[in-house]
Amino acid sequence: MRGKVFCLILFIFFSYVKVLAQESAYFHQTEVGFLWGKGQRNWEGKYQNRMDLSVSTFHGVKITGRHVLGFSVGYDQYDQINLIPIALGWRGFLGKENKPRFFGGLDFGGGSALLEKKETTQWSTSWYEGGMLIHPSVGFKLPAKKGNWALSVSLGYKRQQVSYFQGFLDGSGLSSFAPTLNSRLPGGFSSLNETNYLFHSLVFRMGVMF
Amino acid sequence: MKTSNLFTTIFLLISGMFFSCEDQVTTTYTYRTMMPVYLEMSDVRARLITTEPAQPLDNPGKIYIYKNFLFINEPTKGIHILDNSNPANPINLSFIPIEGNVDLAINSDILYADNYVDLLAFDISKISSIKLVNRVKDVFTHLYRHDTGQIITFKDTVITTESPRWETRGWLARSDMSFTANMAAASQSYGTGGSMARFTLMDGHLYAVDESKMRVFDVQTPSEPKFIKPIDLGWGIETIFPFQKKLFIGSNRGMHIYDASTPHSPTRMAVYEHAIACDPVVVNEEHAFVTLRSGNFCVNNINELQVIDIKNPYEPKLKKAYKMLNPHGLGLAGNYLYVAEGKHGLKSFDVKDVMSIDKNQLEFLQSMKSVDLIPGPKSLIVIGPDGICQYDYSTPSKLRKLSCIQVTNPVIIS
Repeated sequence: MRGKVFCLILFIFFSYVKVLAQESAYFHQTEVGFLWGKGQRNWEGKYQNRMDLSVSTFHGVKITGRHVLGFSVGYDQYDQINLIPIALGWRGFLGKENKPRFFGGLDFGGGSALLEKKETTQWSTSWYEGGMLIHPSVGFKLPAKKGNWALSVSLGYKRQQVSYFQGFLDGSGLSSFAPTLNSRLPGGFSSLNETNYLFHSLVFRMGVMF
Repeated sequence: MKTSNLFTTIFLLISGMFFSCEDQVTTTYTYRTMMPVYLEMSDVRARLITTEPAQPLDNPGKIYIYKNFLFINEPTKGIHILDNSNPANPINLSFIPIEGNVDLAINSDILYADNYVDLLAFDISKISSIKLVNRVKDVFTHLYRHDTGQIITFKDTVITTESPRWETRGWLARSDMSFTANMAAASQSYGTGGSMARFTLMDGHLYAVDESKMRVFDVQTPSEPKFIKPIDLGWGIETIFPFQKKLFIGSNRGMHIYDASTPHSPTRMAVYEHAIACDPVVVNEEHAFVTLRSGNFCVNNINELQVIDIKNPYEPKLKKAYKMLNPHGLGLAGNYLYVAEGKHGLKSFDVKDVMSIDKNQLEFLQSMKSVDLIPGPKSLIVIGPDGICQYDYSTPSKLRKLSCIQVTNPVIIS
């Protein structure tokens, strides 16, 4: 699954690149890297760190010589959870054109849990729901000697919310009698466990931009 | 300069946010349970009970047909009174608020209703001015908690907590059980005349069954019910059906037959045992019809209509069992048997020949999802997800819909 998604993203990216590399107002950035985070403490009191894949492709329009607005789509892993982050973003550059430049970025959006399948057993149903993400970053743009291409190296922080739900099905036939009391407990469940994850990650990625 | 400030800010933000943070995981547990509510019986008794204007039916329990009226219990809340002179157009008249009420029966213009531990008697000879005429105190004492004068009732509640204490399935399963038991006590009795009744009248006596006991009241003077005694029945009692000086009591383990020829002191004649299942009973001179169903917490995977020979009530014998889909309540009108098949619909049979009931199915109305039915003098009353519906069954083989009373929270058949 992960591999397929990765290939798909790369494919989409490269097909775009061919077509759009010429258009000057268009800005593109694609990066691959990792998310690193301090997990919760285990029973020994040690942090269980996570390090997972992160891919992002940003498409934008140059508003001025220094500012770009656009959106990004990607693929992030958090341990066993696979998310598709979709965000609106800004990129700002510092320094002269065609020289190595600093850049800053800010992405704001949500992570979709589309890749996580709903699992239903005889007793329970469990599923993931994505949540808000915010991703400020700083980076370095190293232009190629020829053409618009540039190498992109960035370091950022990503705050991502995800929720995991596990509902135990009402096997007792109670729903035959009692009406749904309120929206806190969806119909058909006798109990619902909601686990909210808030991931703080260091994002290190490399890629290309033009 | 501005931009470089911005970068510095972002950089500080990133490092600041990141190095101070670890992933946060919070879990909340939402579950439904029965919250105990403690009540002082003295407070309950102090409250004046007066008839209120008609209220919409919310989650009706037992239905009782008396003269041209329908008395419909709203479990733990009270009794709706409907004018049913024209079954095609029943009119909601009024509501008697009775706390803790789950059952009722009517004898010579006197309505008996339970009010937690007490039995109330109302004079209903004038339907527009119903009066409370008697209160028999402390009869349903199983609701008392350590004889303190306090009663414990349960309120259906949804709780959200961050404590994982309740997480294990074991606990949930148990909470469900207690919930079910309480809900069952509150609302599983769908109707008198219907096969799922728990109050019943016969020979000047009122019999009330709870999960384990039968209580006998002398009501020969209707406005003065006298509590005579409780009789232990054993666990899992669900329904009671009177017939020709006998009481047929359905439990989840079998059917008890009691001789009530001495009405104040019924004696056990026999217990017909079967596997654990939910089972309403209806009876005629020679046979008892029992339905066994899976689901709810009667977990055995049996869905059957059993015909039991009761010519010798001391020795009931299984005559034949027929496969059913998910039978709930049933009703017998002469030689016609109607079976509520839950979500599968409603079936009617000619049962003149009990050995070939399956060959004499008259109708299988799959659209009529139902849990119980009452063959009334004017109509067949069917309780299901559509509310309380009435059918003309003057031609038993062809039911004709007359009306449906809307219900806010109708039965959902799982």
